[in-house]
Order: sequence, then C-alpha cells, then structure tokens
Amino acid sequence: MRKYREIARTYLKTQLAWRADVLFNMVFTVGRILFAYLLWKVIFAEKDTIGGFTFHGMLSYYIISSFFTQLEMSHGISEEMAARIRNGTFSKYIVIPVNVEGYFAAMESGVVLFYLFFDFAAAFIWIFLFGIEFTLVKDGMIIACALAMVLLGMFFMVQLNFFLGILTFKYEEINTFLMIKNNLIALVTGSIVPLALFPDTIVSFMRFLPFYYVTYLPSMLLTGKCAGEAVRGIIVISCWCIVMQAAIRIAWKRYVRRFDGVGI
Amino acid sequence: MNTQKIIETKDLTKTYRRFQKKEGLRGSIQGLIKREYEEKTAVNSVSLTVSEGEFVGLIGPNGAGKTTLIKMLTGIIAPTGGSIDVLGYYPNDLKNAFKKQYAVVMGQKSQLFMELTVNDTLRLFKEIYEIPEADYRDSREYFAELFGVKDLMNVQVRTLSLGERMKMELIVALLHSPRVLFLDEPTIGLDAVASKQIRKFLKEINHDRGTTILLTSHYMEDIRTLCDRTVVINHGSKIYDGGTEELFGRYQRNKRITAVFDRPPYRREVEVPKEQVNDALHELMQYEPKDITIAEDEIGVVVERIYREGEQQNA
Repeated sequence: MRKYREIARTYLKTQLAWRADVLFNMVFTVGRILFAYLLWKVIFAEKDTIGGFTFHGMLSYYIISSFFTQLEMSHGISEEMAARIRNGTFSKYIVIPVNVEGYFAAMESGVVLFYLFFDFAAAFIWIFLFGIEFTLVKDGMIIACALAMVLLGMFFMVQLNFFLGILTFKYEEINTFLMIKNNLIALVTGSIVPLALFPDTIVSFMRFLPFYYVTYLPSMLLTGKCAGEAVRGIIVISCWCIVMQAAIRIAWKRYVRRFDGVGI
Repeated sequence: MNTQKIIETKDLTKTYRRFQKKEGLRGSIQGLIKREYEEKTAVNSVSLTVSEGEFVGLIGPNGAGKTTLIKMLTGIIAPTGGSIDVLGYYPNDLKNAFKKQYAVVMGQKSQLFMELTVNDTLRLFKEIYEIPEADYRDSREYFAELFGVKDLMNVQVRTLSLGERMKMELIVALLHSPRVLFLDEPTIGLDAVASKQIRKFLKEINHDRGTTILLTSHYMEDIRTLCDRTVVINHGSKIYDGGTEELFGRYQRNKRITAVFDRPPYRREVEVPKEQVNDALHELMQYEPKDITIAEDEIGVVVERIYREGEQQNA
C-alpha cells in the first residue's frame, strides 16, 4: 500500500511544480461559477421553482455537483494510456513491480488531492460571495451514503478509463470510444442539467447506468432529495465496480500480450 | 565468476503484423474497407544463454531486432515462438517477483519525472521496489558518489543535461540492486566525455556488484571497452556469438600506414592486410620517411564487414 501512497504523493508534487497552472485553474473555476450564477438567475427570473428546485436549491445542487464533477478527472488515465501505448512508452509502467491499474488509480488520487483545494475555494466563493442560502441535508446517514457513493463512483470512473485505455492494445485508436464516453457522461451524470428535469422514463433508465451514481445522486442526496435511493445506489454502483473489475481482468490478460512497444 | 545461467532462450521468434496502406487518398479509403497486412519477422529463432555476472554486447544495424530481443527478455512484449527463461520466469507473465530482479534502461525512454528532482523519483522507486530505508540511503549515496552527481540530486530533472540525465536514469535503475541490467543504447546522443564516464561506471557496477549486463549500442567503442562477449544480430537472426576481441580480430583485417616525407609526395597513406605490414613498412623505409604511424581499420568499416560477411556466412 505504501508504494501507491508514494505514487499519489509524487503526482501531487508534479501538480505543484507549475505555478501558472495553479493560477489559471483558479481563474477558470471562478469563471465557471460566475457563468452558472448568471445563467440560472435569468432562468429563474420568471419562475420560483423548476423541476422542484428553488433558485437557491438549484445553486446548491450546482455547487455540489460542480465540486464532484471537477474532482472527477479520470479521463487523463485513458488519454495517457492511449498515447503511451501508441508511441511505445507504455513499457515504463510494465517493467516496474506495481499493479498498473493501482498505479493509475494512485496517480488519479494525487491529482484529485491537488484540485480538492481549488474546489473547496470555489464552493466557498459561491456560498459566501453570492450570498446563497446553501441547502445541505442534516441526516448523517445520508451524508455518509452520499460520500461513499462518490468514492465508489470515482473508482468506477478510474476503472472505466483504465478499461478504455486497455482497448488501445487491440484497436490502437480509441478516440471515438472516448468521445462517446465523454458525451454520455456529461449528460448522464447530471453535471450540465439536473436529471430531475428529464422525463421519468429516461431517469428510470439512467438508474441502471453507473454514471447516475457518480455525481448526480450524491449531489441530490446532499441537497436533501432522493433519500430513498441512497442504499440502493451504493449497491448498484458497487455491482458496477465488480463487473468493471472483471472486464478489466479479462481485457488486460487478453490484450496486454498484443503490446508491440514500437514507436520510440 | 558465478556461472549460473540466468537467461536462456531457444529458437526465440517475434513476428509483427503490419498494416500496409496503399498510396494516396484512394488507398486510404480502400484501407477503411479492406485492410492488407504483412508479417515481419523481427527476431528469428534466436538461441542465447547468458550466465550470471557476464557483460554481453548486442550489436546489429538499425532494425536488426536487438531492441525487440531486449523487450522480450524484459517481458514488455510476448514472443511469437520459441522458449524463453529469464531468472527462472517467463518474462511476459509480468510477475512482480521477476520485475524486482532486473532493470531496463532504454536511451529514449525515461523513468524520471521531468518536473521533480531526482531525489523525488528515487523516493518513489524506493517504495515501488520496497527497499528498506537504510539500504536505500546507502545505495543512493553510493551511486551519487560513483556517478559524481551529488550536487544535482535536488535539481529539477528537466534542467539537467543529456549526460547528467542518463546518469540519473542509471541510478534509478540500479537503486534496487538488480541481478540483470538491460541497457538499450545508453550512450545515444552523448558526447565523448559523458559516454566515457558512463562506460567507466558500467564497468565498475559489473565488476564490483556482479550485475549481469546486456548492452545494445551502435557505438563499437562501448562494446569493445565493456563486453567480453558479443552477440551480432542482423535481419532478426544471430550471426555471431563469441569473444569480442575474437570478433574484431576476425574482421579487423587491415592496417592503415601513414608515412610523412621531407620532399614530394610529402605524405603517403596505404591500407594493407595485417600480415603484409612488415613488407609494406620495409618498402616505405627505402624512401626515408620523416614519420610513420600505423593504425587499425576504421571501426565503421569493420562493423560494415561484420554485418555483411556474417550474414553471408550464416546464409
């Protein structure tokens, strides 16, 4: 376990090496806040509630959802794997005594730890600077379920991106897969619009997908909604993690032998 | 020297399947519908045995199959045929217990983190290889001293020169005291001074620590200085496996004699077979030269001869 902790620490240190990146990340985060605030203010100008949300309830959802969405940065895993497999430098991970999936999960943790600070800063600016009446559920059990679901959801996203990265061994080019995944996630995770605004049949269908539990349901739970789905949500996302782990095992075993290491 | 065999391959073969795209836009569209592949044999039935403590050179022209062979020995790629045993393991099983016993340094692939210091990378590798703290400190001190880079351990890697970076790559690779070290072009792009230093360190590591080293290089100076034994590969096949001096003795056939005179033609250069040097000198002495130098065949010429004639003998 110590080796994975050190991998996370190393990637956290790499994030801290570039001061301009730190500054731009801060500017970008605040810019997003301002844009969303103005957008929802216009939408709520003529209505008091939309899809069961008040203006402050919607902004509370948006703060929490943005917080989780920005922490979910596992797309870097599939991109890094695809690039390195294609140019032959993926061997740097193969020759060291680590579980490669564990290495990427630890790498992701290191990067996330760095951005956690900015996400907290962004949430703080939202709540205090814009005077939002922040809605946060009081039930400790629901909060615990939501946090557990977020962790499982993020782990699932690491698994999914690692799995897509493995497919590069077979297909060489996975940009189409990545594009489909990114668009699907943007819609299904509810990071653009709360799923509560969609028709019931579509939401019922999305409940079977893992993405529903990555940011959307935890955000809803924390804003005091969908409490009845908390336990079931943890079970569903756990099942998806198990299924994805099995898929990774099979794909890794089958496709790593196809690596030809050519390029450099 | 310990003579335990630690690398053994028999008829080791690697075949790649390559997509053949026809020329032009039309060819690109055809490639979308129907793809044609060609098979390329990168390594062809290579049988090789390396004993513990040996320093073996692997030479061959570009595309000969040297790097492919190293990749199979380290488990990076799977062989298509034949058998392979390295330290008692089938490398492509990628077992951690196996990976802890070897290290590989490829001249153009880096394990260093460019944004961090060498000490940061070493700390990471200490944990990855589960090296006890005291051993880690001893090894780090030993190598920093040996490579003369003590002052550079806390400098951002991207600011180091190519030669300094290669020394750091070697320190990272050697930190866990591997039994076998695979080196693929470690001196590529380095100037003469840096190359000489790297050669000196490698010799010490092989001699003092008993580390088995398999080295590929295009620089014959590397091979001649370091390796007692050389394996020559061309078009994927092994064409020579034996003593390095014997190899050069066999193919370094001529001597170049340069004579300088006080009168025209002032300077005369002749290349003669080794066994005719005496006769040539005798003849030149009749013209009372001011100075005479005798040099070996140019290394480039020798290498070309090894590849060309070795291939013919093997055919």
